[in-house]
Amino acid sequence: MTETDGSERPPATLIEPIDMSTLDASFRREIQSMPDGDELSACFACTTCTAACPIANQWEYKPHQLIRMIILGMRDEVLSSKEIWECLTCFQCQERCPQKVRVTDIIFDCKNLAAEEGKIPDAIRNLARELLEKGQLYVITADWEREDLDLEPELPGLSTEEFKTILRNTRTGRIVGGE
Amino acid sequence: MILSDKVLIIGGGVAGLTAAIELADSGVKTVLVERQHTVGGNALDLYKAFPTDDCFYCFEASRFRPGIRKCFYRSALLDHPNLELRTNTTVEAVAGSPGNFEVTLMVGPQYVDPMRCIMCGLCQKLSSAFVLISPQCQPQAVVYVPDQADDNVKEAVEKCPTKAINLEAQPTEEVIRASDIVVATGYHEMKPVGMEEYHYEELPDVVTQLELARMLDPNGETSGQLVRPSDGGPVKHVMMVQCVGSRDENYYPYCSKICCVFALKHADIIAQEREGVQVSVVYMDIRTYDRHERYYRKSRRAGVNFIRGRVQTVSKAKDGGLEVIVYDSLLDRYLKFRVDLFVLSTALEPSAESNEMAQMLGIRTSNGFVASLDPTSGDEVIVGDHVYACGTALGPAEVPESVTQARAVALKILQGRK
Amino acid sequence: MPTYNLYMGCSVPANYPNYEAALLKVAKALDVELNYMEGVGCCGSPNLRAFDYYGWLVVNARTLAIGEQNGHDIVTPCNGCFASLKDALYHLRHDKKDMKRVNEELKKFDLELRGTVRVRHVVEALYTDVGVDAIREKVTRPLDGVGIAIHAGCHLMRPADVTEMSIEILEEMLRATGATVVQYPLWKQCCGATVLPVNEALAVRLARDKLRSIKDAGAEFIMVVCPACGNQLDLQQFGIKDTYGEGYDLPVLFYPQILALAMGMDEEEVGLSMNRVPADPILDHLTE
Ligand SMILES: Cc1cc2nc3c(=O)[nH]c(=O)nc-3n(C[C@H](O)[C@H](O)[C@H](O)COP(=O)(O)OP(=O)(O)OC[C@H]3O[C@@H](n4cnc5c(N)ncnc54)[C@H](O)[C@@H]3O)c2cc1C
Ligand code: SF4
Ligand code: SF4
Ligand code: SF4
Ligand code: SF4
Repeated sequence: MTETDGSERPPATLIEPIDMSTLDASFRREIQSMPDGDELSACFACTTCTAACPIANQWEYKPHQLIRMIILGMRDEVLSSKEIWECLTCFQCQERCPQKVRVTDIIFDCKNLAAEEGKIPDAIRNLARELLEKGQLYVITADWEREDLDLEPELPGLSTEEFKTILRNTRTGRIVGGE
Repeated sequence: MILSDKVLIIGGGVAGLTAAIELADSGVKTVLVERQHTVGGNALDLYKAFPTDDCFYCFEASRFRPGIRKCFYRSALLDHPNLELRTNTTVEAVAGSPGNFEVTLMVGPQYVDPMRCIMCGLCQKLSSAFVLISPQCQPQAVVYVPDQADDNVKEAVEKCPTKAINLEAQPTEEVIRASDIVVATGYHEMKPVGMEEYHYEELPDVVTQLELARMLDPNGETSGQLVRPSDGGPVKHVMMVQCVGSRDENYYPYCSKICCVFALKHADIIAQEREGVQVSVVYMDIRTYDRHERYYRKSRRAGVNFIRGRVQTVSKAKDGGLEVIVYDSLLDRYLKFRVDLFVLSTALEPSAESNEMAQMLGIRTSNGFVASLDPTSGDEVIVGDHVYACGTALGPAEVPESVTQARAVALKILQGRK
Repeated sequence: MPTYNLYMGCSVPANYPNYEAALLKVAKALDVELNYMEGVGCCGSPNLRAFDYYGWLVVNARTLAIGEQNGHDIVTPCNGCFASLKDALYHLRHDKKDMKRVNEELKKFDLELRGTVRVRHVVEALYTDVGVDAIREKVTRPLDGVGIAIHAGCHLMRPADVTEMSIEILEEMLRATGATVVQYPLWKQCCGATVLPVNEALAVRLARDKLRSIKDAGAEFIMVVCPACGNQLDLQQFGIKDTYGEGYDLPVLFYPQILALAMGMDEEEVGLSMNRVPADPILDHLTE
């Protein structure tokens, strides 16, 4: 080695096994207690979910591996993974799972846990902020287009205040407020 | 109970046939009811059989009847004094009480008298309404299919050398008394039409294992030639996929038990008998129970490619055949294949109307198959009072197991009469 | 006359008023009453479910409760709204504890959700309640069998136990206009819209693969029933030209636009000029 970082330690040669005592054995139960999590343990590692997933070929952790990691208790790795946020929520994995593990829904649960711990991509945080500020995702700007089509310039019946009130007091408020 | 009380056997597959012959040979009057035109059931379409790799037309069950050379299909089923065979027949109602059942049979029209037909083939030449279901069919006779009738059928009636054909035949109802009933209604190979990822029925080169067995059979439509159903092109690569519809909570939760073995049986046949054809098997577990592990080892040695994982997509390849993408879970990579034949090892499901049958007989089912009265007793073939079941009516099973159960049924009935 | 609570969401009115206009006109011509829901807000989209499950439950429960009041079904033209409302309802029906908690919250708005309301995609409602035969009767200029590929959208189709949808519904509705349904291998694949915020390159790639599969299958147009899918498949074609150097020229139309044209309405009425990839070639396929 030509460069050192100052600390003189022997180079890593053999990779240490994952020390099971360092994992969070309660993670499995935590997910199982969340919406759609109850069938988690039914997974028999067939990898159909991964075969079904249109984007897992570019993931370090494939869907079946995420499920495996949850079962083993690799809580930090799962909640800090980019995979859970890239998931398209297309439900293809879930649809084909022969054991009715609600894979996509479980990934939703993971995102909620990650968000609670502040592990949330900037783009999603921005989205949360916009929702809170505007009370909706998209605001009508080109009302003349609507009028050309015989539509009311504003959306009939729309009311955004309640939406903001609700989300201010739930996790959205915490995510945005706690920056 | 007297020896001359009749036993009714429903289903003329391997199991029902064995039970019928065993009982008839022991002097018990037996009525064998089969809804098809020929007995034999699924075994008719299997070509070679594990565990012996024998031709399926002859099997072990008739070992003790040397006169018929181990073969049911050339056996004198029709001539047996104690055996009444009713093909094209179903059970309509069951009344009476255990030990004294009163059973209504609906006997379909017998257009061709099997005692007369000599299978000369003359009628078949005249009209496609006359078909020979299998050279091994039993009774040995052609079958008339009214839907296919054309102008020539009349001529066939006249020209038939034995005057075996009667187009005016009508269905008849028959009521019989039986002391015991044996359910041997067998299984059905699941057709995976709803499983979108496999495109069964949409892509002609996607077939089931039974369909593959037909292709391998020298007596099948392709005379044993492996060709792509889509365009008749040569088959260079066969891919099989295991556990289709089995071990799947959306279809059948159970393991169908023998599909790993018969897939490997087919893989071996292809690897050894068809030169230059590559076989791949996509699996999640290979379950070649007890002695059948030898098929697994044999096929690995024969060069069969085993891929642990699942199929992502199947689509038509540009130059004919199929393009299949498989996720290989051991390698953690997606693999792309060009295959000519994509074979689904689908679940063995209860045969059609088995629920109605169970209801009629007042017996329990489990996953749709007939359930033993007391699964812990070791008498798995007893399913009700004077009601027995054997073979795949009880759940997925191989032939030897079906035969063993059929014999157990015969024994139980005989013991009951001592 | 079938009457519904119309939940328009925020994407359709802001981004695709042409979809909205065509829908209203088709409904009127089919004698269907669509009433905009009063006092409702955004569904938050499945994105909200990802980071704030409970907040997502409450905002959607509020909309559901409003819809429940008059006994009519809620219909929506947006898959995101459909998924949010339907999914939230599914979850609340399956979780009594959450239902109770959410109802505590709804008291603040003088609302109560019992869970009896139905949520449906508006196209399914037309299919089931008006029927393909009645729709076909109103078609005066059927399309000449032109090949159209359907992109249904993930959140409309899956999970099936939640959405209760089937692709045949969309296929039959499209055939009723005289068009031919073009099957293509990647019909189930996601358009990529959901992943845009976190991985744009991936989103573009997904749209591109999908478009390619459609083009290879020989389709001339794409039918969608969701503003997000429509946006992604339509708009990305310009991005794909830049990134992949591939031009697909596949106009993307919302189902009510196709139906309206086949029913004799003109292109201005359905805002055809607002479709990004020029969609007027469809006019050449109308038989007079
Ligand atoms: C692809 C494949 C390959 C196989 N290969 C082998 C092998 O190599 N070796 C081996 O040992 N096993 C093999 N098997 C299994 C074998 O097919 C079965 O073990 C055997 O055929 C079971 O016989 P059975 O009599 O129980 O049922 P079946 O063969 O299903 O017979 C049931 C009969 O009952 C009739 N029937 C059903 N319902 C009624 C009714 N209501 N009224 C009247 N009649 C009725 C049916 O028409 C049928 O004739 C294979 C199976 C498959 C799918
Ligand atoms: S498909 Fe289901 S059972 Fe199979 S690995 Fe994925 S989660 Fe597990
Ligand atoms: S829902 Fe997510 S993990 Fe599942 S198949 Fe789609 S992208 Fe993959
Ligand atoms: S002509 Fe008569 S004897 Fe010959 S096959 Fe036909 S039915 Fe049988
Ligand atoms: S026998 Fe093999 S293929 Fe059949 S269900 Fe069991 S594991 Fe799957």
